[in-house]
Amino acid sequence: MAKCERLIRASLLACTMLSVMITVLVVASVFSETMRFFSNVSAFDFFFGTEWSPQTAMRADQAGGSGTFGAVPVFLGTFLVTLIAMAVAAPLGLFSAIYLAVYASPRFRLWIKPVLEILAGVPSVVYGYFAVITMAPMLRAGGEMLGLSIASESALTAGTVMGIMITPYVMSISEDVISAVPKSLSLGSLAMGATQSETVKKVILPAALPGVVSALLLGISRGVGETMVVVMAAGMAAKLTVNPLESVTTATVQIMTLLVGDHEFDSDKTRAAFALGFSLFIMTLFLNILAVIIVKKYRERYD
Amino acid sequence: MIKPFERRRRITVQRIKKKKSPFIYKSYSKKPKHTWLKKRKAAERRFRNAGLISILIAALFLVSLVFNIVSSGYSAFTGTQIKLSITFQTDLVENDAYRKIIQNALLDVFPDVKTRKEKRALFVLTSRNAVYELRDLVAQDPELIGTKKDIWLPAASAVSIFYKQRLLEESQRIGKINGDQAKWITLLAQSQRMKVKFNMPFFQNGDSREAEQAGIFASTVGSFFTILVCIMLAFPLGVATAIYLEEFAPKNWITSVIEININNLAAVPSIIFGLLGLSIYLNFFGMPRSSSLVGGMVLALLILPVIVISTRNALQAVPQSIRDAAIALGATPTQVVFHHTLIYALPGVMTGVILGVARAFGETAPLLMIGMVAFIADAPKNFTDPATTLPIQVYLWANNPELGFVEKTAAAIMVLLGFMILINLLAVYVRKRYEIKW
Repeated sequence: MAKCERLIRASLLACTMLSVMITVLVVASVFSETMRFFSNVSAFDFFFGTEWSPQTAMRADQAGGSGTFGAVPVFLGTFLVTLIAMAVAAPLGLFSAIYLAVYASPRFRLWIKPVLEILAGVPSVVYGYFAVITMAPMLRAGGEMLGLSIASESALTAGTVMGIMITPYVMSISEDVISAVPKSLSLGSLAMGATQSETVKKVILPAALPGVVSALLLGISRGVGETMVVVMAAGMAAKLTVNPLESVTTATVQIMTLLVGDHEFDSDKTRAAFALGFSLFIMTLFLNILAVIIVKKYRERYD
Repeated sequence: MIKPFERRRRITVQRIKKKKSPFIYKSYSKKPKHTWLKKRKAAERRFRNAGLISILIAALFLVSLVFNIVSSGYSAFTGTQIKLSITFQTDLVENDAYRKIIQNALLDVFPDVKTRKEKRALFVLTSRNAVYELRDLVAQDPELIGTKKDIWLPAASAVSIFYKQRLLEESQRIGKINGDQAKWITLLAQSQRMKVKFNMPFFQNGDSREAEQAGIFASTVGSFFTILVCIMLAFPLGVATAIYLEEFAPKNWITSVIEININNLAAVPSIIFGLLGLSIYLNFFGMPRSSSLVGGMVLALLILPVIVISTRNALQAVPQSIRDAAIALGATPTQVVFHHTLIYALPGVMTGVILGVARAFGETAPLLMIGMVAFIADAPKNFTDPATTLPIQVYLWANNPELGFVEKTAAAIMVLLGFMILINLLAVYVRKRYEIKW
């Protein structure tokens, strides 16, 4: 009996170790390729170079065939698209969360919650399709009315759709955080004669601020790692621009274009994708850990 | 915290004190107070409306998404057929010249088509795959050879769209249907030679170069294979990990590191798992490229943290008294977990697994990385066959500029969303029906 007991426990431990190994595997596989990339291309060029054209790196002996791996335009594009996405998702998500947590009647919540859950469950490829088929022509028509020329694959299109995609995510985390603020705080404020909105602005939000910040951080981390929307709606060419009306490229798009298809695996070109992936991994990891730490600090304050 | 109001009040009070007459005092005291309250109430309304509007924007977006997809996709569920009186001439059948047979049949209907250009326009009215249908017919029933018979053949997708939606303007702009063809289609329709039928090929076929023959069957089968592999790997591993962490692990820094580790894994971008699949599964272990086996293994990594976290939450929700009672009756720690705690936690575990599956089902990016982006015409027979999944089929068709594929894309999205809603409803059902509230 005791033997069987030990056996089950050991196998459970083994499973846990296997799950933990996955992180190790991710880091190991991506990191080793990245290191091999950096042994050929200097890390300084990668992180500070402003020209990205890895496609020219076909053969080593080819004239001018080394390719240039300056990832600044790629990261700038990622940053731009994520910024636009957050400009959409942050106000939409926050205001909806406040409304749902403070104002909404139980009946309204009952109806609107599933709608937002569906919105969160729609696969990203569907959002990508929507961005291409509906959002891009709509924005272009709107831009023409204002006298702006918007590229059909613009950062604005990808960012807007990505923002709508992230909204339910930001909303559900912020709503949890707002609901977790002790009732006594808001009731105290209301008892002093403050209106609901004053209570929210001056009592609930300051109290929930760390949680809201971490919700936004998690939203950013999702936006940075999102792939399908940008693959379908943002461009391929790396341009050093912060103009949202132009086409930009993102790290995820570059990883996809470099690795999808039958390429030989051992070239700087494919390894560049791993270097981008590793930067992405580090970036999201940093954002997530930051968010978790902030939330933990905040929880301790009220528990 | 309520500084602005205080300042405002002080100012009014000062103003009031300056006035000496009690009359003026009254009128002043009333007016500022009134507008002040009005302003506060207006601010309250604005704030409330901002919240309501942002929810409505989100809801509106969902409505427009669904509306867009349904309105452009519903027509893909029907296909158009053309009735031609086919003469199975013996010599042509023997030479496998079915194309010629169809062309003759078309010329029978429109005898005044003479020039090469006109003929070329006429011959593309039927689908290129109509040839194979005729061949199958003859193979099934060799007695057809030498006879003449009316047969419904599939129309080309441009013709089909034109006929179904009467899109003369748009089709012309795209350059698919010209004036002559539009005239012929109208003539065919007037002589009852065209009909709209439920588009069975869409549910029976794999991908095809011809829009009218392209279907989602192969990709749906691929999706199911992939999900099957994914569940078989992630479910036992995830539940075992959660049980160990929740019930057996000592609370020390190692477990807290593991915990942080798994929580972070949940937020790693999915494309990173694609990179892992590419470099470890494909290049290191040399597993078959674009197979559902590798796809399922990649997706298993993706949903493992989801399963672990939801299982842990479900286990945490089981009251301590259940465990204490079992131990008091002499159960060993593993018996407590497997005979009692886990049973009570099972609905929560299942809900988590189903939601994880829903996520895996819609995932695209990591599967593209491991080469599931291939053109798949036949459904995979086993786990190592090249396969594709439904979301990838959507992606492939969305990249195809041909008009016929636009409605296919939207229709495939409708099927995809249908599956998603089914999976989510299942989760809701399990939660509502079996979950125990303590």
